[in-house]
Amino acid sequence: MSSSTRQRTPRTKPKADLQRVHDASPEAIIELRGVVKKFSNAAGEFTVLKGVDLEINRGEFVSIVGKSGSGKSTLLNMITGIDHPSDGRVIVNHNDIYTGVSESQRSKWRGKNLGIVFQFFQLLPMLTLLENVMLPMDYVDMYNFDLRPVRALELLEMVGLEKFANKLPVLVSTGQQQLAAIARAMACDPPLLIADEPTGNLDTRSADAVIRIFEQFVQQGKTIVMVTHDPSLTSRTDRNIILSDGELINETISRSLPQLRHRHMLEFTKLAERHTFQPHETIISHDDSVNHFFMIKEGQVEVVLQKKRSQETIVSQLGKNEFFGEIELLRGGTSIANVRAGTKPVEVLMIPRDDFKRVMDESPVTVEAIGKTVQKRLDEHRMADPRSLKR
Amino acid sequence: MNTPIVELKNVSKTYSTAAGDFPALRNINLTVHLGEFLGIVGKSGAGKSTLLNMINGVDELTEGEVIVSSGGKPVSVHNLTEDEKAQWRGKTMGVVYQSFQLLPMLTLVENITLVMDLAENFKPRESREKALELLRLVEIEEHADKLPSFISGGQQQRVAIARALANDPDILVADEPTGSLDSITADHVFELFSRLAAERGKTIIMVTHDMGLKSRFTRHCTLVDGELMSESHTHRKGKQ
Repeated sequence: MSSSTRQRTPRTKPKADLQRVHDASPEAIIELRGVVKKFSNAAGEFTVLKGVDLEINRGEFVSIVGKSGSGKSTLLNMITGIDHPSDGRVIVNHNDIYTGVSESQRSKWRGKNLGIVFQFFQLLPMLTLLENVMLPMDYVDMYNFDLRPVRALELLEMVGLEKFANKLPVLVSTGQQQLAAIARAMACDPPLLIADEPTGNLDTRSADAVIRIFEQFVQQGKTIVMVTHDPSLTSRTDRNIILSDGELINETISRSLPQLRHRHMLEFTKLAERHTFQPHETIISHDDSVNHFFMIKEGQVEVVLQKKRSQETIVSQLGKNEFFGEIELLRGGTSIANVRAGTKPVEVLMIPRDDFKRVMDESPVTVEAIGKTVQKRLDEHRMADPRSLKR
Repeated sequence: MNTPIVELKNVSKTYSTAAGDFPALRNINLTVHLGEFLGIVGKSGAGKSTLLNMINGVDELTEGEVIVSSGGKPVSVHNLTEDEKAQWRGKTMGVVYQSFQLLPMLTLVENITLVMDLAENFKPRESREKALELLRLVEIEEHADKLPSFISGGQQQRVAIARALANDPDILVADEPTGSLDSITADHVFELFSRLAAERGKTIIMVTHDMGLKSRFTRHCTLVDGELMSESHTHRKGKQ
């Protein structure tokens, strides 16, 4: 390491303390409340985020997906304090990061609270990997001066790069450069790591190494929010948030009907009626006509067949992100079973029959996937009560 | 124009791999003069980046010598220790790569002052002034306090060039600096390089795989399988 790097002192002492928000959700590390972002250009005004409400809890590993232009990067820019919302509030780590905060205050706050990783690795080409990892510590003046290289080396060890600590970025592979950039993002031990397409420029093996390291961070209690296009990564996160045309898709809908097009998911998000059923309350009665498609947001339901002499059989129990009511809506006829809430209250989202049928007409892939579920349920019913299909 | 600033004498670089020795550069002799905008053109794998790494001392050579005479003081680059090399490089050479490597959490002007602070060439108050002057030179001054993600790729590359100039080095080395830019934006970067050479006397050494760019340099040479072809040599080959 060059002595010039060691002797550098920051120009100003950091003032990273922002005002705490007293009504912030205690578990949330990120809260967006009615966030709107408008851009103006020659063609007029364009709304990129249309009133986004979002809570991300401490320790969650969250992926954000959406088509190009859906507002993903703008959403990340709101969370990182890089861009200003036109309306609404952004609360990160219980601080309102936009109200009464100067750019330089925000910059210091960002240095202590956020790690940021981008698709391209942004290592300074003239500094070794170790020096690159030490940069943020210098910038926000964290850790004792002599401790910085020790901590930087520990971080490089964590990502398996200790052997290359004194090499310049150009002499290691692109996968290794990205791992070094991740080590640098964690330099000041931030509670939150934000990653924008972190594996977009990597081969599968390197991408896997990056995600494994992210999983380690999550196990240590860090929160990770990652924008990605790669479905093999979204399957490894706790939550998958989908943005469509500047609006968030309800996560129950995207988990229940993953084959649906984003625009249809968004339509269902807007149409969905919420309802909570109390323990054991009937949701659908046998022989009733079914007027809604149901998706379970929280809790469990029981699908029950009534046999002779009031004997009943529970043919299935459905939980979070599962659906019911589809058999009757797609095949016609009245309900072939009773559906009731389980032992705890059940929160469901309900889509009206006509809207559900119209969207299904436009989405044959979803109908096919639902068809398989229908078949499975009918088989379950047949085993439980051979009479049910003879009707 | 005829003062030599970079001299490569019989430079060879061989990489040892499991499959045997691989010669990446074979006996390169090259003199670059003060104020030249030199292009080194060649296909992928021809040894272009390795050649740049020999000039800026990033990678070790197998044989030969590289002498850089910045400020009239000749230095045999590969005889320096790693620490000496890092200090020497910081003062003598600016580097620009295909990806811009700006730090996402710092504003454009901070990206430049950071490099100045690392080399301790200027007092803190001076460094901002100097950084703004460089941003003016690359015509990005109005965006000085923005973060990199708010400007276009071409603008980011111009900031990266301004950063490479932060410590007023005599030499700029650029590895495919226009590789990820569209042709109009790439044109602007070329104009900037030409201006830096003609008006500020900077020596610019740029490698590219794009043969179509040859005419944009004050001089170019071609690298084929680790060997340097003279200009006339490539020309003759081209006519066959």
